[in-house]
Amino acid sequence: MAAEPGARTVTLTIDGRRVTVPEGTTVYQAARAVGVEIPIFCYHDRMPPLGACRMCLVKVEKMPKLQASCTLPAADGMVVDTHGPEVRAGQEAILEFLLINHPLDCPICDKGGECPLQDQTFRWGPGRSRFTEPKRDFAKPVSLGPVLALDRERCILCWRCVRFGEIIAGDDALKGFQRGFASEINTAFTQPVASKFIGNTIAICPVGALTSRPYRFRARPWDNRPVPSTCTHCGLGCAVWLDVRDNQILRTRAREEPAVNDIWLCDRGFFGHDYVSAKDRLTTPLVRRHGRLEETSWGEALDLVAAHLRASMARGPGRVAFLGGARLSNEEAWVASRFFRQVVGTPHLDHRVDASPVGASLRVPWGLRAPIEEIGRADVLVLIGCDVTEEYPVLWLRMKQAVDRGATLVVVHAKRLEIHRFVRHEHLVRHDRLAATVEDLARGAEAADPAVVRTAASIAAGARVHILVGRGALDAPGGPALLRAAARLAARAKGTLHIARGKGNEIGAQRFGLIPSDGGWNAPEILEAAAGGRLDVLYVAGGDPATAVTDRAAWEAARRGVGFLVVHEAFLSSTARSADVVLPALVLPEKPGTVTNLEGRTLPLAAAVVGPGQARSDDAIFASLAAALGVTFSYGTSEELLEEMRAAVPDFCPGAVSPIPPVSVPAGAARRPEALPDEDPGRAEASGLWLALTEQLFSQGVMTGRCRGITDLAGAPHCLIHPSDAARLGVRDRSLVELATAHGAVVLQARTSDVTVPGQVLVPRGYDAVPVHALVRWPHPAAAVSVRPILPAAAGGAP
Amino acid sequence: MRESIILKWARTPGMEHLEEYRRAGGYEAARRVAVGAWTPDQVIELLIASGLRGKGGAGFPTGQKWKFIPRQAPTTYVVVNADEGEPGTFKDRTLLEGCPHLLIEGILIAAMTVGATKAYIYLRREFHRARRVLEAALAQARAAGVVGERVFGTGQAVEIVVHTGAGAYIAGEESALLESLEGRRALPRLRPPFPAQAGLYGQPTLVNNVETLCHVPVILTLGPERYRSYGPPALFSVSGCVVRPGVYEAPLGVTLRALVFDYAGGLRPGRRFVAAFPGGSSSMLLTADQLDVPMDYDSLRQVGSMLGSAAVIVLDDAADLVEVIARAVEFYRDESCGKCTPCREGTVWLSQIFERILGGRGRVEDLHLLESIAQGMTGTCFCPLGESVPPSLVASLRHFRGAYERHIAQAVVHGR
Repeated sequence: MAAEPGARTVTLTIDGRRVTVPEGTTVYQAARAVGVEIPIFCYHDRMPPLGACRMCLVKVEKMPKLQASCTLPAADGMVVDTHGPEVRAGQEAILEFLLINHPLDCPICDKGGECPLQDQTFRWGPGRSRFTEPKRDFAKPVSLGPVLALDRERCILCWRCVRFGEIIAGDDALKGFQRGFASEINTAFTQPVASKFIGNTIAICPVGALTSRPYRFRARPWDNRPVPSTCTHCGLGCAVWLDVRDNQILRTRAREEPAVNDIWLCDRGFFGHDYVSAKDRLTTPLVRRHGRLEETSWGEALDLVAAHLRASMARGPGRVAFLGGARLSNEEAWVASRFFRQVVGTPHLDHRVDASPVGASLRVPWGLRAPIEEIGRADVLVLIGCDVTEEYPVLWLRMKQAVDRGATLVVVHAKRLEIHRFVRHEHLVRHDRLAATVEDLARGAEAADPAVVRTAASIAAGARVHILVGRGALDAPGGPALLRAAARLAARAKGTLHIARGKGNEIGAQRFGLIPSDGGWNAPEILEAAAGGRLDVLYVAGGDPATAVTDRAAWEAARRGVGFLVVHEAFLSSTARSADVVLPALVLPEKPGTVTNLEGRTLPLAAAVVGPGQARSDDAIFASLAAALGVTFSYGTSEELLEEMRAAVPDFCPGAVSPIPPVSVPAGAARRPEALPDEDPGRAEASGLWLALTEQLFSQGVMTGRCRGITDLAGAPHCLIHPSDAARLGVRDRSLVELATAHGAVVLQARTSDVTVPGQVLVPRGYDAVPVHALVRWPHPAAAVSVRPILPAAAGGAP
Repeated sequence: MRESIILKWARTPGMEHLEEYRRAGGYEAARRVAVGAWTPDQVIELLIASGLRGKGGAGFPTGQKWKFIPRQAPTTYVVVNADEGEPGTFKDRTLLEGCPHLLIEGILIAAMTVGATKAYIYLRREFHRARRVLEAALAQARAAGVVGERVFGTGQAVEIVVHTGAGAYIAGEESALLESLEGRRALPRLRPPFPAQAGLYGQPTLVNNVETLCHVPVILTLGPERYRSYGPPALFSVSGCVVRPGVYEAPLGVTLRALVFDYAGGLRPGRRFVAAFPGGSSSMLLTADQLDVPMDYDSLRQVGSMLGSAAVIVLDDAADLVEVIARAVEFYRDESCGKCTPCREGTVWLSQIFERILGGRGRVEDLHLLESIAQGMTGTCFCPLGESVPPSLVASLRHFRGAYERHIAQAVVHGR
């Protein structure tokens, strides 16, 4: 362990070797630094030592008893013995104690082969057991929700999982119950575990007590081929191992990446790979004949697409537009951009399919303006409309570290966040009042509300202020004004303003050209042009506008208005179902290349598995089309492609961060009019309720809807209604309701909850079966909504 | 036997009433501390001079402990360990029920000395009567301006809160007590930091036992020299096979023989002294040839035992030592918090073996196994709870092996 210059050090002797370590280092760490292995169970290097398992006992000269090395600070002149007879006797005793009540089900235990208890018994343990009494007996395994199985007989009570919930995630998901030999890890009343990070407890469990339900009994660790790659769900770009067996990803594990996810993942990352091997992957091109999509050959499909593109090009430039990019690699985004700009000749490209024309999402490049690590060192964190655990869960783990070090967490949101117990200043306001609240905060001491003045003072007092504006604020009514106010707030506090927006590889799409330039239209303008008959071909890849566009009617009008819709898809998504040609595409875990995460870091992808049937990568499809249109895209090697990308985007460098330029907020008026008030004030008057759409980590979308664990975690599509409103309207918790606006209606489960404010119904997006975007129309970001209870069909049904 | 200076407060009728207590000279020491007649440094010097050591079990010098509390800390707490749970110990209950004001006065002096404005009494759950008496005494003290915003009309504030535990022996261990007081499971904490540096809610905290604090007003009143001339005094809980079990005040260093035969009236007729736990069931038991060991910290440590909570449990020749040890092991099994491996697993394994031996299913090799398990628990546990088990078990195997062998021989004879 290298001592930092100037830091005080101590020198001790471990097994006869002199070791100099910084003061405060434990004997265990000092031993590990010089390659001396001491067995451990409860100690985990991401958490403070606990000293519970007593496995790491060592002998220290002049100390009468054996010492737990994980809790013992190294001191000058200490002489430590880690392998002598006394130490060995102590370690054997502890291991024997751990084993007496541990079941002998290693042959059917998922942990076998990667089990610290098994490994250490092999290395340090006694050869046979002297224990002849009955072993501790628990019902097993117990399900703690869709992804976690608990086996208390295997548990050695190291407390790692409990402390992960307390120290790392802050969600207190698992707890200890009972005491002494009856102690057990569990949730209260064995309820499903409430966590977004529980996969990590499976990973750090030193035995098979916590196992993954989706992975149970699927493979032995040595059956799997671990492939290093990057998670492409939320856009944070966590490093992963994809464990592949028989060309199938059976398991995702965290890969250590200190700059991004350290050693952690969220549960969407852990359990979000099943879609890759879903049975309903598209394997052949489809073309619409007589109103139906029918299978065809690649040759025929490409000819048809090329013919339509050629015809459009003949009618003039700019009559083709492209939407999508979140699910493309950097390289594919670059090839797509080049194809449309140089071959087809259109500037109308946009990855921001889910952005509203009246919010602020289209006014500013997306992304974090500082490395994730730096956000972890903040002393003030301001989350404005950014539901961090639902949108970028692993980013919360960094923020939690900052909060634990004393950082002030400020939240301005339309929903009480689940991390609210860490929030120092919470401004929970209705969606349409977010902008006014942020403007108030920017006024500082002159604000009318004393609570706002206090918050503003806290922000101003910070030395390392990071303000994250998320989708919930950018797309809220008054989004542009909110963004300007947030910029003033950041400038006053000399802080950094971040735009926490973008999923998958949207930052890569933004960087590599899938963004309008040279007079090109943005996504809503493309839809408007399509609806107005000004487009011949609408081309979609790496996106699903039919569900993502936040005004379903606008999408439908666009679809009706455009003559020819081409879609690259892995599944028959809503968009694909309405297409004229569907080209079967590979998904990201099937492709090599790179992605760009939210902070602008270029991260590697790997082709972990071979795609199904005739599915092709998006860049290969574009290259084929280019060839059909008479342009050769020849990238003999990927290095040639990288060269070209580097030439276009000079700071593109795999592994490194290419910072996203600081937010500069356009002062002038938008190209479009500001948002209009809801056109149905009568409904608001009658119901007193306004609608706000929210983000949810566990969803049922094109990918997540095909991941068993995540689909189950998402549960039923629902809305959140304040108990006072629910009582007034006669809505019971978990009953069905019809939500109606001037534009549409959906049926959902109602959950009464005080995470929303009175007068506001929260509806999570992400359930493809429920078209919540049919409830809203541009340019009215605020919609009055009525809630009507639907009585159970059968009398006497459960309330 | 000499006059008592601590126990007399608990034994004098009416001492639970504030007026009676004051009439007897009570609260005078606290009042003098409040008005500044003794500075905090002087109080600590007096305690150091008195030689008072913690009466909860560890025997740490009390004056030193008070001195360790950083004086300039913004928030400091006093926590009273009234979770008297060591088997055989009942002196604190006697004080709590008999002279609650003596404890309150001790708390006031402690709080004013270390600069705490809030004190918590962590009271054992089962002490219902003590709770009633204590709450009533606190109400009187608050009404009289002795406890509260302005102690004795000075600018000093000391609020005292009674908090009952949830019935865990381990909560008597001071760091587990603090965890429990904060609302978590009573699991012992890693030390350092010690409570004096970071205790309750991470603030400097003085944790003292009930009896310890009851000595404080007496020391200030009599002065350390006179206090020391009483022994210094200690309260012994004597129980088991004696004629007059009870709490006795005796000078520290009194012999076990004197405690058993003089204070507690000796054994019942015809019985022979076999063994005794000198300081609760956690202390290693002493045998008949150790009756003249002085009952003080160092002498008992020299023979491998400890004064602990000064709870003497006497066993005569009618007691089955195997059953006694089995019962003690069972107690520690039930009270182990479950945090560390050797205590959690060792106690349950030991009691499983004892169950077999007492059930007539013992094996000859069990004696070696018991010793080996005890060995595995020695020096490996996180806190003293688990470490309490092996000494008496090993001592019983050494001195009373015959008792074990008789149980096992029966099993062998009966072919099991």
